[in-house]
Amino acid sequence: MKTRLLLLLSLVLLLGVATACVAPQAPAGQPVEVTKIVEKPVAKQIVIYNSYMSDPAPREADEALVKMFMEQNPDIEVVHSTVAHEDFKQAIRAYLTASTPPDVLTWFAGNRARFFIDKGLIMDISDVWEEQGWNETYPAGFRALSTVDGKQYFLPASWYWWAVYYSKSTFEKYGLQEPQTWEEFLQVCETLKANGVTPLTIGTKYRWTAAAWFDYLNMRVNGPEFHINLMLGKERYDDPRVKKVFTDYWAPLIANGYFIENPAAYSWSEAIPFMANGEAAMYLMGDFIRDSYPQEQVDDLGFFRFPIIDPNVPVGEDAPTDGWFIAAKAQHPEAAKKLLAFFGSKEAQQYMADTLGRLPTNMEVDTSNFTDAQRQGLDLIQKADFVAQFYDRDTTPEMADVGMNGFMEFWDNPDSIDDILARLEAKRAELFGE
Amino acid sequence: MARRINLSRFVPYFFLIIPLLIYLIWVIGPTIYTFYLSLTDWDGLSQPHFIGFQNYEKLFRDPVFYISLKNNIKWLISFITIPVVAGLALAMALSRSIPGERFFKAGFYSPMVLSLVVSGLIWSWMYHPANGLINSVLRSVGLDFLAKGWLSDKNLVIWAIIVVAIWRQVGYVMVLYLAGLAGINPALIDASKIDGCNAWNTFRHVILPLLTPVTVIVVVISIIDSLRAFDLVSVMTRGGPYNSSSVLANFMYIEAFNNYKMGYGAAISVVLFLISLVFILFYLTRVLQDELEY
Amino acid sequence: MSVKKTFLSPWRSLLFFVILLATLVWLLPFVSAILTSMRSNDDIITRGFLALPRQISFNSYKVAWTRGGLSHYLPNSFIITIPSLVLTLILSSLSAYALARFRFRGNRLFLYMYVGGMMLPFQVLLLPVFRLTDALGLYDTYWGLIAFHTAFQLGFCTFLLRNYMRTVPGEILEAARIDGCSELRIWAQIMMPLTLPAIAALATLEFTWIFNDYLLAIVLLRTDALKPVTAGLATLQGQYVTDWTVIVAGALLATIPTVLVFLFLQRYFIEGLTLGTGK
Repeated sequence: MKTRLLLLLSLVLLLGVATACVAPQAPAGQPVEVTKIVEKPVAKQIVIYNSYMSDPAPREADEALVKMFMEQNPDIEVVHSTVAHEDFKQAIRAYLTASTPPDVLTWFAGNRARFFIDKGLIMDISDVWEEQGWNETYPAGFRALSTVDGKQYFLPASWYWWAVYYSKSTFEKYGLQEPQTWEEFLQVCETLKANGVTPLTIGTKYRWTAAAWFDYLNMRVNGPEFHINLMLGKERYDDPRVKKVFTDYWAPLIANGYFIENPAAYSWSEAIPFMANGEAAMYLMGDFIRDSYPQEQVDDLGFFRFPIIDPNVPVGEDAPTDGWFIAAKAQHPEAAKKLLAFFGSKEAQQYMADTLGRLPTNMEVDTSNFTDAQRQGLDLIQKADFVAQFYDRDTTPEMADVGMNGFMEFWDNPDSIDDILARLEAKRAELFGE
Repeated sequence: MARRINLSRFVPYFFLIIPLLIYLIWVIGPTIYTFYLSLTDWDGLSQPHFIGFQNYEKLFRDPVFYISLKNNIKWLISFITIPVVAGLALAMALSRSIPGERFFKAGFYSPMVLSLVVSGLIWSWMYHPANGLINSVLRSVGLDFLAKGWLSDKNLVIWAIIVVAIWRQVGYVMVLYLAGLAGINPALIDASKIDGCNAWNTFRHVILPLLTPVTVIVVVISIIDSLRAFDLVSVMTRGGPYNSSSVLANFMYIEAFNNYKMGYGAAISVVLFLISLVFILFYLTRVLQDELEY
Repeated sequence: MSVKKTFLSPWRSLLFFVILLATLVWLLPFVSAILTSMRSNDDIITRGFLALPRQISFNSYKVAWTRGGLSHYLPNSFIITIPSLVLTLILSSLSAYALARFRFRGNRLFLYMYVGGMMLPFQVLLLPVFRLTDALGLYDTYWGLIAFHTAFQLGFCTFLLRNYMRTVPGEILEAARIDGCSELRIWAQIMMPLTLPAIAALATLEFTWIFNDYLLAIVLLRTDALKPVTAGLATLQGQYVTDWTVIVAGALLATIPTVLVFLFLQRYFIEGLTLGTGK
């Protein structure tokens, strides 16, 4: 028995050492993925591309784009790695400071990209913008989003809108119309509730769904300018205008039981079933809700602009934008620029718009094939006076963390709003200085 | 003769040199570096700047730190009791021949092999307030008032997570005790039976003392694991709702990797290290003093 | 003796049923995982979680294997786990032997150092270790990951084996020394076989841990082609949309190696009993 096991152990040991020795060393910058083509005489150029598009549909589109690029550029091999979105946000600090960083990476436009640009970790790609004529074919807003000190560092990709999604069949059943104003919205909620339907579903386990409510209420009550200044730390959280958002608008919704019970137990998608099976009727959400909604019911989804509270206040909307950049220390800048040029091209943007139902940034994209939802979404954003990114993108990650915890605490305990806002103000003062 | 004795003095160092070198480079080195980082404002990208004890001052004023610490203590108390007793009892029961003992052992070990992400996910569904298994069962037997929002109630959430942790831990402790029992010479047990000891006395006076080295391992591991607890919280609630299920490792992680305050995260870790050290030293010095010298 | 046995019998059957019940409760989450893996995402969204599958489908397994990339992540897991496991076990049993069986300057210090290394939450070491790996040119290679796994598990393994090794009666070792055995031979031919139950139990636990690690893999590797199965499966988690049935199916497939290891090794931490009697 003993000898048998010892024999076995030594066998495993041998095996272990053998596999370890055989294990490819994966020298930096060379693709380990075995290329199907046998030993070409000309060495292929390489470009390393790490992406956080890990949601099923965007991931497929992302992979298809890489494939299209490699077909058009047979001399370039793209080493493409997809990393889970949450993990990517953490690993990017390792990626960017490694001696062998990836060449092309996905990231958030706006403040989050600005942070790395300021640290000198993102390559200046003004030349690509120039060569590709993007200065003309991209709207000024997106160019501004990519520009620091007159140089372009970023390529904004597709984007999507936020709105109040609702079940058309439930609305029909109770004879409800899409509300335009806050009064109409409250009326809709009241009718639904009287009929035993919870007006609003929400899953706040990961908090950002609650942040969307704050973004919209604050923008509708105090206007987008105040909102963005609050995000940038230029306004105070203990300002009475902020408190009004909570006490006059948010608290009544909670107190009246317009939201489902125990929202903190659900992730955003775990709260969908309440809406799909008719127990709840509306969900303030981004357009990606379409990807998670039961496929046979997706046509039942309608959406309307978050109701206007004060008609004198300019209209702000959330429309988060993602995109790509090249690492400052990229080992293969030439090939990386080619890949980026392709990602920003009309062809690639058209593909993303058509397959994902999102909105393209490149104005050359043909919009004649747009779905009704895309048209409505585009219209929604074009009518807006101001477009914000989203709570956790517009402010710093640390402020967002404390802020979203504050929203959750308010949800459970609306009376403690003064304490909560005092705490948020203390954090704001610490982070942005007084 | 003299030369031989001299050489033999170095024998233990020969055994230690390679493992210790690797350990020093890969674990002790980064650990000391972490101590240094706790005195800086490092964000993971730029050069760290030395800022003295500012991180610690901030930490001791941070209410989340105290919430997390309390949760860790709850975790610790649960961990050094329930899984230890249950794991030992199971090992005792399953070390003798019971029909199907292999199935039972595999069953209790199964939580260990399932990935934490999936464990967290499945348990979140079991805790689902509306139609999760737990609340459904409670309602069906008329205990509606007990059906709670397990993961959304700030007073219950940490206990709900600790239950899952215990569910995983029991199999682990069982394996350690099984290995300990396997090392006991059955002749000793037979001897005690011949001496007229009943089953309980045999256990109490023969088996348990012989298992002391294993118990030391189990207790030390339980202390360390409960203070370092991270994964389940991160998967099931990320410390929510509003930090009520936060534990120190999770708090550290959010500060370091979400808020990019590596220096502050390092300070949290150092404090966590010191707390563990207090518990471990207190326990180990007492146990090791009793150890027989060879 | 036989009287005693019949007396114990009802207790034994009670024990049996209590354990059976407990095991079934313990397995519930596992069973729900299996049921989930056979459903579709739409079914989960419309009919809630933890419902019986409307129709049994193995599609998620297929998707996990192909699109989820399990077929190429799984070999990576073995390439990382097996060398780490073997190295850790050998190195830790060496140092455990020294710490358990010799009195020398620094014994306690080294022991506390090994235990101390376990006390930091390892997540905080991620970036320092990444820096070290990058400096040594091991970033984005299997070796960086293997080295850290080996080193990081050394603390626990040494501590555990040291304690088990102290239970071995000293006379056996003395006898061997008098016979002129070298210390290396005593370690290999006496200590190792005698601590077999502990080593087998340890191997089971370590295999499970190293195999299931994923945080480290995410930070120390950036190339998809090198990633182990846990990190690979994690990439199925989107920012908003996650194909949970595929993740669960993939995770269940990934448990197979660890279950096999457990089933194979468990008899060694039971059969120690009979080994003991032979002595």
